[in-house]
Amino acid sequence: MKKLLAILLSVVMVLSLAACGSKTPDPAPDPAPGNTDTETKTVKVGLICIGDENDQGYTYNFIRGKEAATEQLAAKGINVDWVVKYNIGENSTCEDANLELAEEGCELIINNSFGFEEYMLKVAPDYPEIQFVGCTNQNSWNDGLENTHNAFANIYEGRYLAGVAAGMKLQQLIDEGTIKAEEAVIGYVGAFSFAEVVSGMTAYFLGARSVCPSATMKVQFVGSWSDATEESNAASDLCDRGCKLISQHSDNTTPATMAQSKGAFHTGYNNDMTGVAPDSSIIGCRIDWAPYFVYAIESVANGQAFDQDFCKGYADGSVVLTNLNEKIAAPGTAEKLAEVEAGLKDGSVQVFDTSTFTVNNEPLTQAFALDTDGDFAPDSEEAVFDGAFHESYFQSAPYFTIQIDGIEWLNSAF
Amino acid sequence: MHNENKVPLIRLAKRDLMEPWKVWCIRLASIVLALILGGLVMMIALPDGATPIDGYSTILAGALGKKTAIRQTVKLAVPLLGCALAIAPCFKMRFWNIGAEGQITAGAIAASYFALYWVGRVPSVLLLIIMGAAGAVAGGLWALIPAFFKAKWNTNETLFTLMMNYIIIGIVRWLQGGPWEGRPGSQIIPQFDRAATLPKVLGIHCGWIIVLILVIFMHIYMNYTKHGYEIAVIGDSVNTARYAGMNVGHVMMRTMFLSGAISGLVGFVVASGANTTLYDGVAAGVGFTSITVAWLSQLNAFAMIVISMMLAIISKGAETLQTRLAVPASISDIITGILLFCMLGCEFFINYRLIFRSSKTEKEAAKE
Repeated sequence: MKKLLAILLSVVMVLSLAACGSKTPDPAPDPAPGNTDTETKTVKVGLICIGDENDQGYTYNFIRGKEAATEQLAAKGINVDWVVKYNIGENSTCEDANLELAEEGCELIINNSFGFEEYMLKVAPDYPEIQFVGCTNQNSWNDGLENTHNAFANIYEGRYLAGVAAGMKLQQLIDEGTIKAEEAVIGYVGAFSFAEVVSGMTAYFLGARSVCPSATMKVQFVGSWSDATEESNAASDLCDRGCKLISQHSDNTTPATMAQSKGAFHTGYNNDMTGVAPDSSIIGCRIDWAPYFVYAIESVANGQAFDQDFCKGYADGSVVLTNLNEKIAAPGTAEKLAEVEAGLKDGSVQVFDTSTFTVNNEPLTQAFALDTDGDFAPDSEEAVFDGAFHESYFQSAPYFTIQIDGIEWLNSAF
Repeated sequence: MHNENKVPLIRLAKRDLMEPWKVWCIRLASIVLALILGGLVMMIALPDGATPIDGYSTILAGALGKKTAIRQTVKLAVPLLGCALAIAPCFKMRFWNIGAEGQITAGAIAASYFALYWVGRVPSVLLLIIMGAAGAVAGGLWALIPAFFKAKWNTNETLFTLMMNYIIIGIVRWLQGGPWEGRPGSQIIPQFDRAATLPKVLGIHCGWIIVLILVIFMHIYMNYTKHGYEIAVIGDSVNTARYAGMNVGHVMMRTMFLSGAISGLVGFVVASGANTTLYDGVAAGVGFTSITVAWLSQLNAFAMIVISMMLAIISKGAETLQTRLAVPASISDIITGILLFCMLGCEFFINYRLIFRSSKTEKEAAKE
């Protein structure tokens, strides 16, 4: 009995000590936004991420954009108070995260993954004064809300350029007699047979074939956006099927390392992969989110409305190439890239030029861009005109889902 | 000499029944200890200038400070409570059903089928009832399989129910990428129509009313019915139950069906109320966390309300902690873990006591 009382008393004492102890460091002032400069505006921005920067790919690319944007905005006298939520799932936890950030007083909330939009749209109507952004998504043009936005970039332009660098390499191998012309096979590790992937890989292939006319491509879908082992297995399988060069639309660097160990070349996505595969990875392309972040945040800071369906491309700095690996790239690659870049900028090069590809041996004459009745089959807005398929023209998210000749789908289960 | 060697440094002995106030003191002390330990973790994780007290008050404010926060907290507690109610009769019977995760998923699949393909054919209320009933039947049948094997061939129910989880989650993955996929390649099943969504009451989907009704049902079922009595007897001694003429296999299958049915109903509530779609993580670990809820409440239906709310508060509060003080979200898992460890651990000290080898016992031993 006494023992018990003694224990209780000691617990009370420890607690009171803890309470006292906690009081002392309190006077330390909050890290208040101490800048009293009247010109400086502070915007509280929420960012909801599907992963964290350790993925060295998709989310890392957003964080990089966030940091660059913060710097550029600071130069314009706008302070950004970021609240970042990592590792949020594409389910009701995303709804909770949006609510949480809205309640914390964020003026702009950015969702970084495709599957987030449905949950963002459950929260957005209740907070009309807060701007919501669904990156890589597609509902803003017809969801009837004023405060929702979509953003993407014409990443297919970057893919096309990376494809040119890859094609140059293959053509070099052919010219040097290392491989025969019909052996110029590209292996592509794709996540899913999703419009974003199909659009990107087709652009890549067309880029490669523009400089290496005998090139063909095999695509292996892995059924996950991020599965290091499966991506590696797919790259290995593609190399065994005779692919001389690997590219990827998936989050990890394992296709690069596998290509290097199999003696194949590689081009990357989201991040510079020449560090992990210096003897194999030629170049990569990525979306630079900074221009969009700067644009959106600046608009919010100034109380201006901003584009509900944003999509900019290579010419505007939203799509960038990573450093060219001069050590292994074919001679003249940099010059050729500069030439194509100029063509993309002035519009003389169209990525999906219908004269450069066929579908079932017929030229493409008709394809719809948008789905208006909700059955996920495009039924509106003719995308083929002026001799090209116009990608990301009617909405920011890609809608090119056509299987063209020259690309072999090894599995379409995903 | 011989005897002395046999007395270990610490011995365990079953306690006699303790006075209730002492029991509660121990429980309270365990929570206090957990808070102190959790505070130490926070001291490492929190940014400079913030104390554990700030941390805990942020958790509380984040979970209960605003109307929207309370709604989210309740939303988190609903599946935990429902699922704890589901597994309580199994555990009472000492049938280790750790397949609630799969039973929730099975229920969610069945409910989703009707949500996706029957919308527009029947009025909304009827559709929701059909979805709920389908969820319950599917969850029940999914649970019946291991119970049947246990009753017939005495298979290990722990492994069996666990393995069943992975099968059903695999089925959802297939549905997501295959027949029920929305936008091609997206692996996402479309959102349900409004008619297939649980209506909101006081700002939260009405699943909370369903689980509160279940609390009363389960309390009566376990304490005042013949079924409940049979479950209790089997839990204490299968042989006694047999001697009393109970068909043990039959009771097992019946109880598991009921348990699975409630889990399936929870699956319907989660799919139709919270997510308004189906995806492979629909159960989100609830099937496992609710085991803790059930044990902490000692299978008492009303205590489960408190415990599930407590876990929901920590979980929601930790989100706010992360938002406001930039603490990694995993810190909340550590704190929850410490709390559960202390609370479950204290039950051990309520049931057993440690006897140290003192000089007195040595003397006694020597005398013998």
